[in-house]
Amino acid sequence: MAICTVYTSHSLNSTCSIPTPTKTYLGFNQKQVIFFTTSKRSNRRGSSYSTEISCAAEKTVVIGLAADSGCGKSTFMRRLTSVFGGAAEPPKGGNPDSNTLISDTTTVICLDDYHSLDRTGRKVNKVTALDPKANDFDLMYEQVKALKEGIAVQKPIYNHVSGLLDPPELIKPPKILVIEGLHPMYDARVRELLDFSIYLDISNEVKFAWKIQRDMAERGHSLESIKASIEARKPDFDAYIDPQKQYADAVIEVLPTTLIPDDNEGKVLRVRLIMKEGVKYFNPVYLFDEGSTISWIPCGRKLTCSYPGIKFNYGPDAYYDNEVSVLEMDGQFDRLDELIYVESHLSNISTKFYGEVTQQMLKHADFPGSNNGTGLFQTIVGLKIRDLYEQLIASRTGAPLEASKVK
Amino acid sequence: VRTMVAPDSLSEKVSQSIEEAKETCADDPVSGECAAAWDEVEEVSAAANDARRKKKEADSDPLEVYCKDNPETDECRTYDD
Repeated sequence: MAICTVYTSHSLNSTCSIPTPTKTYLGFNQKQVIFFTTSKRSNRRGSSYSTEISCAAEKTVVIGLAADSGCGKSTFMRRLTSVFGGAAEPPKGGNPDSNTLISDTTTVICLDDYHSLDRTGRKVNKVTALDPKANDFDLMYEQVKALKEGIAVQKPIYNHVSGLLDPPELIKPPKILVIEGLHPMYDARVRELLDFSIYLDISNEVKFAWKIQRDMAERGHSLESIKASIEARKPDFDAYIDPQKQYADAVIEVLPTTLIPDDNEGKVLRVRLIMKEGVKYFNPVYLFDEGSTISWIPCGRKLTCSYPGIKFNYGPDAYYDNEVSVLEMDGQFDRLDELIYVESHLSNISTKFYGEVTQQMLKHADFPGSNNGTGLFQTIVGLKIRDLYEQLIASRTGAPLEASKVK
Repeated sequence: VRTMVAPDSLSEKVSQSIEEAKETCADDPVSGECAAAWDEVEEVSAAANDARRKKKEADSDPLEVYCKDNPETDECRTYDD
């Protein structure tokens, strides 16, 4: 006998007439149904997705974020959840090594939890975590689909400390679900479920510099071991992770600066925000004039910058056969004046008030990347996602019977 | 108070897996075995860094740490209005 718990979330504007509690202790509007069944199917790992919901419930918006490990996914996640308000915390009272983060609106799940092979299993089978063979895409698809349809799931936990698969945790359907990890856009079925997708593309030089900063203090690590680790993972990275960027709606590319000749410290960065054109509810950001090609150095009489200064580029481009707009920032901010000055010249940034980008950046001045293009573009992408979410919800409540699809 | 695996034991694990990876790759530097070994190094390094960051965040402001446990004391009381 199995016990299934089904949660469905309702929008206040939905067509069904079930009274929605304004606030439960978990912050979800939910109806709880408990039923008992002897069917074998319900023993399938962690999902009760065959349940149907008979009314036009508010659907979860699903965002995919792809990046290699140690490339700033967690910083991006913290910036993103901050845009929606409220701090993101691990689930209370559960597994202390859970990878999930939950805030009022957003739930972030780490796709490492869908590893089909644990650390020992990968060693035995001689595969890396980057290899699709080490991941269970069927379960990933089933559970993301269930969450999108408003059904809670029992998601496994991959424990990064022990390298083992821990007992599952209950994930309830949030307003916004972010799936972050190595393969959010690898499986075509999962890709179809995404309302928006982002790829963090860190160049090899910068990856090396960041990992030196991260690992050099660690006993046993040396320049050689860091290099060897990057080199050994590279074939799988190039084969399975990197190709996903062609599907992303936004790519944040991080490259070494061109303002300082032969810089390899990885402190000054050239960051490019590549935005796909023609994505519904997503209007790319532009500088001064939409569609033109512009190079802008904000430093001058109105703004004093220290060495090496700041340089912006904006223009249309092609990226994997897609039409895109690219906004690029090279250099770093020293003071707040520079940021507000830059913000005032950007358009389509989906802010709710003048200075919101600057305010968000200031709120997290201690996060890595707050003084360069990584923090700026991550914040802007966060605002664009909020905008996309609001438009999607508005369109659904306006036409509740019409199945919404972004792409 | 949340308990956490001491970063020390993770540090141990990092250096241990580096040694293992070096050994594994000595025989065949382009095998799947070698890649898996270095992938483990990456995973435990990331976990160690994560633990370090969490610990640093938790210890960053001694007053905040104290006030979490003692919100009623003079130095911790805050009123919204």
